[in-house]
Amino acid sequence: MTTSISPPDTVPEEKAAGHRMPFWVNQRLGLLVLVVALSVLFGVLRPAFLDQRLVLFPLLRDVATLTVVALAQMVALSVGHMNLAVGRMAAFGAMFAGLGYDRLGLPMPAGLLLCLAAGAAIGAVTGWLIARTGVSSFVVTLAMDFALLGLVSLLYSALTEDAAFTTRPSGIDELRSYSLADICAGPVCGSPAVPQIAQFTVLAMVGLGFLYGCTRIGRELLLTGANPAAAELSGIPTGRRVLLAHTLSGLLAALAGFMAAAGTGTFRASIGNDFMLPSFLGAVLGGTLLTGGVVSVLGTLLGTALVGVIRKGLDLLGVGLESLNIYLGCVLLLALSADRIRTVVSYRKVVRET
Amino acid sequence: MSTVLLECHDLVKVFPGVRALDGVGLRLTSGTVHALLGENGAGKSTLIKVLTGVHSPDGGGLTWCGEPVHLRSPLEATRTGIGVVHQERNLIPGFSVAENITLQKPPSHRGLVDREAMTAPALACLAELGVDLDPHQPVRELSVAQQQLVETAKALYTESRVLLLDEPTASLSPQETERLFEVIRRLAARGACVVFVSHKLEEVFAVCDTVTVLRDGKSVLEAAPLADHTHDDIVGLMVGRAHAATEMRPRTVDRTATPTLVLDKVSTAGGHRDISLEVRPGEIVGLYGLVGAGRSELVKAVLGLDRITGGEVRVHGRPARISSPRQALHKFGIGYVTENRKEEGVFLEQPIVRNITVTVWKRLARALGFVSAREERDVAQDHVERLGIRVAGLGQNAGELSGGNQQKVSLAKWLAADTRLLVIDEPTVGVDVRTKHAFHELIWDLARDGLPILLISSDLAEMVTLADRIVVMTDHHVRGEVDNDRDYDRMSGRVIRLIHDRADSSADSADAKAVSG
Repeated sequence: MTTSISPPDTVPEEKAAGHRMPFWVNQRLGLLVLVVALSVLFGVLRPAFLDQRLVLFPLLRDVATLTVVALAQMVALSVGHMNLAVGRMAAFGAMFAGLGYDRLGLPMPAGLLLCLAAGAAIGAVTGWLIARTGVSSFVVTLAMDFALLGLVSLLYSALTEDAAFTTRPSGIDELRSYSLADICAGPVCGSPAVPQIAQFTVLAMVGLGFLYGCTRIGRELLLTGANPAAAELSGIPTGRRVLLAHTLSGLLAALAGFMAAAGTGTFRASIGNDFMLPSFLGAVLGGTLLTGGVVSVLGTLLGTALVGVIRKGLDLLGVGLESLNIYLGCVLLLALSADRIRTVVSYRKVVRET
Repeated sequence: MSTVLLECHDLVKVFPGVRALDGVGLRLTSGTVHALLGENGAGKSTLIKVLTGVHSPDGGGLTWCGEPVHLRSPLEATRTGIGVVHQERNLIPGFSVAENITLQKPPSHRGLVDREAMTAPALACLAELGVDLDPHQPVRELSVAQQQLVETAKALYTESRVLLLDEPTASLSPQETERLFEVIRRLAARGACVVFVSHKLEEVFAVCDTVTVLRDGKSVLEAAPLADHTHDDIVGLMVGRAHAATEMRPRTVDRTATPTLVLDKVSTAGGHRDISLEVRPGEIVGLYGLVGAGRSELVKAVLGLDRITGGEVRVHGRPARISSPRQALHKFGIGYVTENRKEEGVFLEQPIVRNITVTVWKRLARALGFVSAREERDVAQDHVERLGIRVAGLGQNAGELSGGNQQKVSLAKWLAADTRLLVIDEPTVGVDVRTKHAFHELIWDLARDGLPILLISSDLAEMVTLADRIVVMTDHHVRGEVDNDRDYDRMSGRVIRLIHDRADSSADSADAKAVSG
């Protein structure tokens, strides 16, 4: 059932289909099991892994940020495109937030809005170029990546002394270090493992879940990705949908840039340098198709979480950075083939029953 | 003299939810042309895929010249001596004719492909087919018919003794078809077995010796001499019951009503000049012409996908400048059922419910663009029932349906949108007899309910059955219009005269090009 999206609305449809695959072929369920199993395994091998404040808190903060990055990629993938400039769009957006705090003395939410607006604008430009010229998104976003790399570095060195905005508006430190434990209802406090910054991730997920699961625009984005020619002839304004997808992708990338900057405390050009590969990993592991037309919001979170858990766990086991990447590669291969194996096994089962 | 080359018995192939092959037997004898017949979904494609090593059977077995064989891949099938020319061309457009022919076993010298050494064997294969083509010409410059011959030469090069031709005549003109038949007969005379898969029974009777008929995954007639059977026998076997041509209910057109669509001397950037036609409520107007006459392109220009450079389009009596299919749908209520079902008509990897409701989301959407999944399903369910689309469930992907059912899905989305004018482009290409008939009835009844329909088709019989008037187009021009009196012979005479009277010179030159290559 990798061909469905996550919101509950689609579940009855799947039940209605007579010969669909059994429930345990669900990719997201497999991911969830894998994430939990690996966490337990690492927790047994190194009890420190389950330390809420020192390990889980930073882990979840990274996962929260990278999930938003992967969602930015997912939105581009939904129309059958890709966004190779996610990292640079993140840096571009974050730069505007930093600039706002440093030069204009903006309050925290205003800087965030400025950041999102900048990201959406650069995404819109990208989308407009793609829709207008018909050049593939691969080429356009690659070019955009280079252009922004130069522009962002140039502006940082022109506007700042040590290539970073360090002015911090009130509230941003809380965003960095506060967890649910800081929110108490009387004597009951939340878990110290869950960072407050994850609120943005949850918001983005709910928004996208609603968009793709419940709305006309979301469905039109998916059909544009599934078959642009048929979508155009069916009355979907595919050009506008492509524009929208890239705008949203830019906006989400900028949000991730802001989250990353809030996490480290400074706004600098290197934000988002390592965003691109995790963005594809999270989305694709979660069941989003590279060819467009199928997305999974929840899967994107789980895919990103899987990568994060593996990294952190192996790190705690004392695996060096180089060998860590080897293990990571192997586990990812296993995760992807496990999915394939599940599909084949269940396919055979259905065939036998026929 | 004649030996049994390939034989299979009790073949079973199961897919989720369907036994595609359920006990199929087949015997292919050297020196014969063997017809493989069956309606869509009867199992022909699956059988071909099993015979060419794409699918491995779940039961039963194959023997090659009396010895059991297992074909685990298409390569093994090729090596065994089974060649196939698919409906879709599998040539590499940028490669030359010789490179394509020798693709599976290129002559090489110390591990490097030897281009010079390709020419001779390629020429030999082409000569065997009796075709004169330049082996160095890139395949993309060839006509469809020529490409098909290259595919056939490719099968000869690998020394295929069984050659499967899947719908080989679908895109060929009558002359090209006749030439292909000569090639087929020559191959059979050389001791090969040619398997001819086609929906066109006239062609089957013209070229085949023996016949196997599939129905619902079973072979209901195995390797029988074709001469023992009549046209009606075969149709009866395919359909499973005597095929009674039901009478269409009477339908009249009010010729005084305001036309829903008027093209008044329309010219397009695509090369159409001074095209005029009218479609009235409840009327079926046929737009007839050969492939390449520019009919679909005309419709696409009207829908705003190409520029209209002159003349006027009027919809519902008012001048209309349509800029996109979206506007055509939402502002003017025009729907277009495309001829390229898989590329432009349905979303193969998307559930049926979305395929049908794509045109009505705008209407169903409430605050924030929210579309209720239940309302959506209700709309889809209504149309699945109305058109008798056979589905396992609304969540099933459209790509899992048979061709005829996909076509119905492609039509359903326009009916769901309550379009006030429908353009239907080649609705029954590659569709079996029964589905074709169902489609004709459906289109007829839509017009009977008052829907104006512009029907594009290259099938003259279809035109005569359905259309009230037939507009004949060649080479981006309207050559004339005839009132249909439903007499096939008289109509075909008049239509063909319209085509040839004025297009003689251009047709001749095109023909000459096809021969000389």
